[in-house]
Amino acid sequence: MANYLTFIATIGGIYALLALSLNLAWGTVGLVNLGLVGFFAVGAYASAIVTAIGVPVVGGIVVAMLAGVVAGVIVTFATLRLRDDYLAIVTLGFAEVVRIVALNERWLTNGADGISGIVTPLRQTLGGRGFDLFYLGLVTLIVVIVWFALRRLDLSPYGRALKSVREDQELAAFAGKDVMRLKFEAFALSAAIAGLAGALYAHFQSYVSPDHFQPLITIYVFLAVTAGGVGRPIGAVFGAYAVVAFMEATRFLADLPFLEPVQVAAMREILIGLSLALILLLKPTGLLPEKTPKATVQP
Amino acid sequence: MTIKNTSISRRGVAKGAAVLAVATALGGGVAFAQDGPIKLGALVPLTGAGGPYGPIMAKTMQAVVDEVNEAGGVKGRKLELIVEDTQTNPEAAVRAARKLIEVDGVISISGTWASSVTTAVAPLAWQSGTFLTTTSGADSITQLPHEGYLIRTQPNTTLQGRKFGEFAIEEGAKSVYMVSPQTPFVDSQFENITKAVEAAGGTTELLVYDDKKPSYRSEVDTVMRADPDAIILGGYTPDTTVMLKDLYRAGYDGLKIGFGYSVNEKLLESVPADVVEGAMTISPSPNADSKAYARVGELSGMANPDPYTAQVYDQINLIILSLAASDAEPSGTMLKDTVRTVSQGDGETVDNAIDGIKLLSEGQAVNYDGASGPVDFDEKGDITDSRFRYDQVQDGKIVLLKIF
Repeated sequence: MANYLTFIATIGGIYALLALSLNLAWGTVGLVNLGLVGFFAVGAYASAIVTAIGVPVVGGIVVAMLAGVVAGVIVTFATLRLRDDYLAIVTLGFAEVVRIVALNERWLTNGADGISGIVTPLRQTLGGRGFDLFYLGLVTLIVVIVWFALRRLDLSPYGRALKSVREDQELAAFAGKDVMRLKFEAFALSAAIAGLAGALYAHFQSYVSPDHFQPLITIYVFLAVTAGGVGRPIGAVFGAYAVVAFMEATRFLADLPFLEPVQVAAMREILIGLSLALILLLKPTGLLPEKTPKATVQP
Repeated sequence: MTIKNTSISRRGVAKGAAVLAVATALGGGVAFAQDGPIKLGALVPLTGAGGPYGPIMAKTMQAVVDEVNEAGGVKGRKLELIVEDTQTNPEAAVRAARKLIEVDGVISISGTWASSVTTAVAPLAWQSGTFLTTTSGADSITQLPHEGYLIRTQPNTTLQGRKFGEFAIEEGAKSVYMVSPQTPFVDSQFENITKAVEAAGGTTELLVYDDKKPSYRSEVDTVMRADPDAIILGGYTPDTTVMLKDLYRAGYDGLKIGFGYSVNEKLLESVPADVVEGAMTISPSPNADSKAYARVGELSGMANPDPYTAQVYDQINLIILSLAASDAEPSGTMLKDTVRTVSQGDGETVDNAIDGIKLLSEGQAVNYDGASGPVDFDEKGDITDSRFRYDQVQDGKIVLLKIF
């Protein structure tokens, strides 16, 4: 049981990084990114590929973040004129492009077989149990650092500028903000965090394949951010852990004697959808909503 | 001041109680008695792309376990089957497998279906000493460093490819076109089809499509331009359904050959009869005349059980027989060391666990021949048997042509 909880907490941390990434793009600067899983995949594959040719894991993680930035910049370029629904559709397309490239470019990604035997740092020295604990510590530490950095960013003048783009980009431009640059920077940073999450996932599981990166993950992360509170980093982190805990807790419905396994599986999906609907109905701003600072009184 | 203190201590008590309650709940979950039921895991695709197969696979395994329990269990111990959903997604499957291994403490996991799922779960199995039985076909799976903790009941794709090629030639086709989604086995399959067809002086072409497209009109146009004598359908049920409809619309009237697991009763129900009329299927032959296969039909409620259901029936029977055959404490290691003594050899042939348990308790050796075939394994975990069955859709029904 303790092993399992360690594992779930680690996966929760990786989801929390994805949620922080989405919260930055969607919650802070207002760019709906339905292609989150694509950046996650880019990071996972980038690190898996470069560590396979001898780069140390730390290097792999850096490469994964850079790959995320490059992908983020490309997507922002492609979507400069798009907002809202249109942007969402294009980013959704981007994630599918990544998945299909990973499926078909066998020389690079080994196709549908996926890349197995990815380096798991220190596993040999620490043993299975030790590795799980070490990795939980590592992922949690990174979540705390990224959360803290994003919180600082939120509270800074730069963060206010990003939020002004979210609220009204014409007005932000009118006030002298370089809207395009802000969008580029925020989206690239967001993509780097998703890439980081991907690298951490790859080195934890030691196997990635195109099947891993289905749009379902993006939906779970949207659920996490919505439930936690759009626009507030701690909300995203809380939401991510809550969603993973909820998904795992619903497994134990199988203990109810009157449900068949297939009904339990369907029930889990119903409950996840239902809980999102309920949160949106009862607490549309999320469980830890964004705090809007009071306007300063002019002297 | 006093009031404040009291309120804090009251809260403390409440917190303590809550922590205790949680701890008890968790503790209760892991309580593990040495003489409790032996826990077996089933990890099948109940939702996602494998959704058409998983529920019946789980139901069939549960039925076998129930039967054995009614007959007294194994050495006086009951069996418990714990079913989890892979969601046909390796990420979700790993979470499910961790739960099975670390919370439930299962000694085996059966029925992983998608190759990516099996590849993701396999390291957990050999690291934790859990025995994994799978229906995935990718050649790479048995080449993993699994130390014997993995067996599969599905023939690998090299062999399947050759059978498709030979069959197309037998049916008089000279030009063969294979259409398939991107799968771990499309390349090795096509390579082996080509070998067989070219040996007889024919030609082959391959078109790989995306399995999630709603229409394959452009793909069908490409295929029709080549005017092939035979089209080999390499996909699964959902995409093959769409492909067959588009081929029918385009007026293709040549030979269509698909996998038995994709051109199945579900597909027949979901399309007009004309669309699939005459289509041929090849599948690793379940022992269609065997009692075991008939039994799978009863347990699963299908007239022609798909090969996966037949395979998981055999997997769970083999695990139960292995438990009965060894005196060691039940564990994954014990299963991997014992399974080949009941799956093959000179023992009395049996086709179900209950008969086998009886013979084993009398000190006799057994050799299990099941619903999917003789299920004998080589040292890598691949089956050594190679019989295939050939069916054709005639008047909206799947009719057996031959088995060899």
